[in-house]
Amino acid sequence: MTRKVLSGSYAQSYAAKLARAQVISAYPITPQTSIVEKLAEFVATGELAAQFIKVESEHSAMQVCISASALGARTYTATSSQGLLLMHELLHWASGMRAPIVMGVVNRAVAPPWNIGADHTDTISQRDTGWIQFYAESNQEVLDTVLEAYRLAEDPQVRLPAMVNEDAFYLSHTVEPVDVPDPETVDRFLPPREAHAVLVPGETMRLGSFTGPDHYVEFRERLAEANARVPKVFAEVEAEFRDATGRDHEGAVPTYRVDDADAVLVTMGTATTTARSVVDELRAEGRKVGLAKIRLFRPFPEDEVQRLARVADRIGVADRSWTFGRTGPVATEVAAALYTAPRRPALTGFLAGIGGRDVTPHEVRRMYDTLLSREAPTTHWVDLEEQGVKVDG
Amino acid sequence: MIEIRFHGRGGQGAVLASELLAQAAFLDGKSPQSFPFFGVERRGAPVTAYTRIDDRPVRLRTSIPNPDVVVVLDPGLLGTTRVTDGIRPHGLLLVNTPKSSEELEAPDGVRRAAVDATKIALSHGLGTPMMPIVNTAVLGALARATGVVSLEALSRAIEQFVPRSPVENRLAARDGYTTVRTVEVGALLSPLPVGAPVPRPSGEGPIAVVPSETIHTAAWRTFTPKIHLERCTKCNFCWKFCPDDAIEFDPQGFPRIRLAYCKGCGICAAECPPKTIEMLETLA
Amino acid sequence: MAKLTIPSQELMYSGHAACPGCGGALAMRLLLKGLGPRTIVSLPACCWTVIGTPYPTTALRVGILDNPFEATGASISGLRAAADVLGMKDVNIVGFAGDGGTADIGLQALSGMLERRTNAIYVMYDNEAYMNTGIQRSGETPWGAWTTTTPVSGDLHGKPEPKKDMMGIVLAHRPAYAATLNPAYPEDFDRKVERARDIVGPRFLHIFAPCPPGWKFDSSETIALGRLATDTGVFPLYEVVDGRLAITRKTGALKPVEEYLHAQGRFHHFTPEDVAKIQAQVRESWDRLVQREREDLSRPH
Repeated sequence: MTRKVLSGSYAQSYAAKLARAQVISAYPITPQTSIVEKLAEFVATGELAAQFIKVESEHSAMQVCISASALGARTYTATSSQGLLLMHELLHWASGMRAPIVMGVVNRAVAPPWNIGADHTDTISQRDTGWIQFYAESNQEVLDTVLEAYRLAEDPQVRLPAMVNEDAFYLSHTVEPVDVPDPETVDRFLPPREAHAVLVPGETMRLGSFTGPDHYVEFRERLAEANARVPKVFAEVEAEFRDATGRDHEGAVPTYRVDDADAVLVTMGTATTTARSVVDELRAEGRKVGLAKIRLFRPFPEDEVQRLARVADRIGVADRSWTFGRTGPVATEVAAALYTAPRRPALTGFLAGIGGRDVTPHEVRRMYDTLLSREAPTTHWVDLEEQGVKVDG
Repeated sequence: MIEIRFHGRGGQGAVLASELLAQAAFLDGKSPQSFPFFGVERRGAPVTAYTRIDDRPVRLRTSIPNPDVVVVLDPGLLGTTRVTDGIRPHGLLLVNTPKSSEELEAPDGVRRAAVDATKIALSHGLGTPMMPIVNTAVLGALARATGVVSLEALSRAIEQFVPRSPVENRLAARDGYTTVRTVEVGALLSPLPVGAPVPRPSGEGPIAVVPSETIHTAAWRTFTPKIHLERCTKCNFCWKFCPDDAIEFDPQGFPRIRLAYCKGCGICAAECPPKTIEMLETLA
Repeated sequence: MAKLTIPSQELMYSGHAACPGCGGALAMRLLLKGLGPRTIVSLPACCWTVIGTPYPTTALRVGILDNPFEATGASISGLRAAADVLGMKDVNIVGFAGDGGTADIGLQALSGMLERRTNAIYVMYDNEAYMNTGIQRSGETPWGAWTTTTPVSGDLHGKPEPKKDMMGIVLAHRPAYAATLNPAYPEDFDRKVERARDIVGPRFLHIFAPCPPGWKFDSSETIALGRLATDTGVFPLYEVVDGRLAITRKTGALKPVEEYLHAQGRFHHFTPEDVAKIQAQVRESWDRLVQREREDLSRPH
């Protein structure tokens, strides 16, 4: 193991290299570029024995990965924002083909207006494509989750594509110390892909095909079943990762000081780190608050979220994107999970950190204040600016 | 409510027939519904379409597994498609065929009707001998055999909605109406051979591995090539140009038609230099 | 067994779902004869999606990978990358797309694949409209042709725009090999396929694929019409190797285009002036082709 100071982008690059990705394909988009520049360097210097296909669009980048995967190769790509939206059609193809592609996504706002700041709208818009989705909080988590994602994606019980998401700039361009495992360690944890049900030259086989109502439903149901197996397999994968590296990231929904909490805030991505420090401050003041992080967003970890309802009377959800005509998407998921919970706490939504806006300790503290007050549950746009003047949400 | 299922082949106008019937029923003051099954839409390939006719708005949006009436636009389908599957016990099977209605096989208790719609269509110049447009003649026969629509409404629907040759189509409907022959009770249907079992999807992605030769496309053809070997020079043009790979060689090197697959396109006959191949009308 | 002028191996199964007399089906049959069994075909949305027969059946004795409409160029880049990195030797990677999937929605990915110098064969089987969806005009539909979206009535005179020059677009990318092929000339077709098979680099085959229902002619006339297309100069046969163009079928005087146009219902509304206009265009294109061939021949190697 070596300890390096790495950006979140380079954490993706190093992970793809350690995973020995065989075919890499990407198209440049801010703020993803340094991921693929580093990988291009690894391939050019021979540090990584891969084919790097530089394509003319993100759409083609994903198609290259799907086709390469269909012959049995381990593949990697990375993108962001508009590029991910352009891939949308292909994301359905990847999951339908059961292609275990791993993709890094730098979460960035969607135009117009053009904005390159952190925002989850891009990946949230892909939640129904059948991909596994992880959201990372630190560069260490980025690197480790990419490696875990390959194991999970290629597991015979799963065989699904996975994306590992990191907030633009708060991770992608933030450097911090990262433990980079030795190649031998990773090789033991992540052996070469055992390709299954892929095209073999010379054999009669059509991968993709077309079908009417007589078979289509069954393929969809199998896709759903594979998704349903993810939480269990992921728990096993993380246990093995811990055995291999001595480190893990506490499963699908890591929690912090929730055991006796009156109010729990649910976060996703980098807002979690700041929120954790606020929890400590509030606890020091004698207020019983806790924190839960959605690390695995798809498939949604319903059981873990239901567990939060055992103690807390109030749950808040901080979303970094908005579902128009509805509410925050994570809040919607949490609400749905709580519907069948034995206890249903009051639920409040917060919209914070859109388009690169900072989620500050001050705002997190206000979220907890709102949660602990006896106000009627609703959705709050945090730190909203109106008529050029910042007002409280 | 009356439920009608049409079986035809791509290009014969089965879908238009189901729509025309609905338009005619509407002109009669009924509440119709019609829709095609979207599958492989290919000229010559089997197609299915549905019409429902009721006095009140139809409150079903499904295919028709148990039709009151089955209409077969092409007699070639009888040997390859299970046209009478699910037909109601006192239903009607109407077939475009030169045969008599007594000769038709249908499940016990099913009425049978026959009309030579191909002959009628060609007599009015509708379509080609290779691909006669038989839908309006068949609809005329259907109007008579079932009474689900009046001939007047059918004629008006044809005038309004048939893009080409409306006059000839109206006459064809009239001829179908006047010449349809019915017999009340059907003989027992001999069960069709069941093909190889279709494997269910595996737990993986959609991977197809069964050769398409398990699918026989003989029913697609209207004309069948016959090779007069006495004049054959073994030039192999017929084999070379066959888009269906439906020509093989016998041990002497003479070409032989693989009848299970020949769609009757006629390329072999057209391209044969000594003109040894004749296209004969396929008999049902 | 008598003399066979093209390979005997059949890698396309019978039972496929092409219309009777389909030029696209014959194109696939002849293509695979020349390529052999170690071939993987990447197939976008096109007639062949359906011709290939529904799950669990398949109409080719080689591998097929389905890909979305616009992604064929990228797909074959991915297949080749994987074949190389996995050490698969002697595999033909082939994209088999229709004219809409190539010249319209797939043009970007095709251009990318050619520019990247992907070692693969891209085939455009050209039936000159979106036939799988029921005869809508494409960039490859010729001027004046009837389609369901270029109707003929009153002032409407079929497609108002000319056919897109795909060979010109491809040749601007300097492919390793590019050729026009016509199933009506199977020996020429096969020779070009085998030549393309043995060349390394991006290769492009433009295959003429007459469509009886879409062009409105009898299914028995597919080959006769194909011959007319080439013999009138509407679809000349040539190949370009390392930038050198050679016409592979010359017939002395070109036949009048009228014979070709009148054989098809999609041109039935043509006036003598329309025919004359097409004739002049065909003549000009042919002369340019002959001129280019002469220049390439005189250029030192």
